[in-house]
Amino acid sequence: MISAGIDIGSRTIKLAVIENGNVILTRIKANSYNPLEICREILGDVKYDNITATGYGRNLFRNYYDCHVITEIKAFSVGVKKFYPECRTILDIGGQDTKAISLNDTGRIGKFEMNDKCAAGTGKFLEVMATALGYTLMEFIEAGLSAEKSTSINSMCTVFAESEVISMVARGQNRAAIARGIHETICRRSLAMLKKVDIRGKVAFVGGVAMNPCVCKILRQEVGPALFIPEEPQIVGALGCAYATYS
Amino acid sequence: MNAKIEPLVNDGYAGEPAKRALAYIQSQREKGSPVVGVYCGYAPLEVIRAMGAVPAVLCAFANKTVEAAEVVLPANLCPLIKSSYGFIITDTCPFFSLSEAVIAETTCDGKKKMFELISSYRPMFVMDLPQLPDQREAQDNWTVMIKKLRDFLEVTFDRKIPDDKVEAEIRETNMKNDMMNIIFDFAAVKPSVISWSELYDLTFLATSARGSHIFPLLEETIKKLEKRVDDGIFFGKVDSPRVLITGCPVGGDATKVFRIIEEAGGVIVAVDNCTAMKTFMDVIEADTDDPFAAISRRYLKIPCSCMTPNTRRLTELDKMIGRFKPDMVVDVVLHACHSYNVESHKVKEHVKSKHGLSYLKIETDYSQGDVEQIRTRVESLFDSL
Repeated sequence: MISAGIDIGSRTIKLAVIENGNVILTRIKANSYNPLEICREILGDVKYDNITATGYGRNLFRNYYDCHVITEIKAFSVGVKKFYPECRTILDIGGQDTKAISLNDTGRIGKFEMNDKCAAGTGKFLEVMATALGYTLMEFIEAGLSAEKSTSINSMCTVFAESEVISMVARGQNRAAIARGIHETICRRSLAMLKKVDIRGKVAFVGGVAMNPCVCKILRQEVGPALFIPEEPQIVGALGCAYATYS
Repeated sequence: MNAKIEPLVNDGYAGEPAKRALAYIQSQREKGSPVVGVYCGYAPLEVIRAMGAVPAVLCAFANKTVEAAEVVLPANLCPLIKSSYGFIITDTCPFFSLSEAVIAETTCDGKKKMFELISSYRPMFVMDLPQLPDQREAQDNWTVMIKKLRDFLEVTFDRKIPDDKVEAEIRETNMKNDMMNIIFDFAAVKPSVISWSELYDLTFLATSARGSHIFPLLEETIKKLEKRVDDGIFFGKVDSPRVLITGCPVGGDATKVFRIIEEAGGVIVAVDNCTAMKTFMDVIEADTDDPFAAISRRYLKIPCSCMTPNTRRLTELDKMIGRFKPDMVVDVVLHACHSYNVESHKVKEHVKSKHGLSYLKIETDYSQGDVEQIRTRVESLFDSL
């Protein structure tokens, strides 16, 4: 049996396909103003027997495709439990939302916390800050990694933080130090959310922002060896969907 | 809710509890009863009724008046307060229009200060609600306040309120509450045979109406519910997750939370909040030396989060969990309601550790902007079962 999982996120759409329990395909495409078109493209010629969708676009997908839908919380829980069973806690920082999930001893969802009302602490926050500093995203990450010190920003709101950063740049403050401070802010917010769900066992750090080496470095300093970052952290939700369909 | 099930109160107002309550209040006014507006479950309705007046609940649940209120009130304020105030300043609240006097309790900061802004619209009596309700002094002080309310009403309406009339109202309230609880017991049936919408149709009316006016309706309702049990009619599916709601008053536009829970496959079997079951749960001691003291003792047992330490919130939840057997508890906290928000931590720990139930806090207001976020959380809560 071929089971597919599709995670329709704000910035990217992810696809994973499982055949008889083995992952045979993963794809990621940037999302656009027309998520359905991207879904069609990503599905392309892929053959599957059934498909499960998650992400903010899941109900739109369900209007056009015969599929099952699950919440992102469930998708990430299933994905982590199946593919990274040593992890009992999940931190997902995506393009526009952040979530923390702890799994109980049987691997079921225990506690969860979400920030999906505000861009602060998400990938969007990092993108806006990079632009405000005059960097591309890669330059912004490199600057954060190489900074010798860190300048903290006070604003919690992305919009106000952007203003604050622009003012700092105008006053000639060191851009790399500000970049570092911004990365530390996002880590602080994420850790606060993690503490609300209790950190148990290893922490799987997933979602697009888990590909940011500066965030990973700072988080590892705080969480220690318990932090686990999968090779493809973005795909975990889609994997969870595919496995949910398969099982 | 199964659209094919005939509503319990099939009077043309099914699912519109405020309109039904308004129709009742208007009919009483036409018969000569003055109308007294109240803002809270702590308002001693027996004293109001003993005067021959009818209480009108002024708490509002509509998002449409919030914008008008925010011209004066801060946006970072409870939506119930903003909505209520917005209705008054736009002169669009029929309940307020009918009210000839307003009773205002010092429950929370937001309400206290909002009352100051509306004090010139109607004769208003502010009652100083004690917030350590188990203290002897608190009960004595609240008794004094209730007697002062009686004096205010007597002067404002030029009517006498004798003790024996208050005593009669105590007995009538107790009978009404008994019948309401018989009805609530049908929500405890597995699967439940009464929906939250039908509960609201009854509780909104029963708050304003005197018992004797609605005994026939309540008796008929009980018979209909017994028939539902016999006919095997119920809401949701046999194994639908059973949800107990607690927290802030939920009504009107905030019932989006209930609809989302139903759309996700849950069935609401108990609503602890003061818009539903909270104020019907206890008896007032009858035939005492001082009916006002008896009223004081009963009302101070209502476990609103404005009270401290409010241990009764947890003991009442214990009773409700034992009675209604929910699978989970959803705690609805309105934006800027600090007391219910801070108390939610205690509720969560208690519900999880003592009863092993799943728990979800939803902080929301009356807008529709967070419906999908709420839906994700509710669906995830069901996934965790």
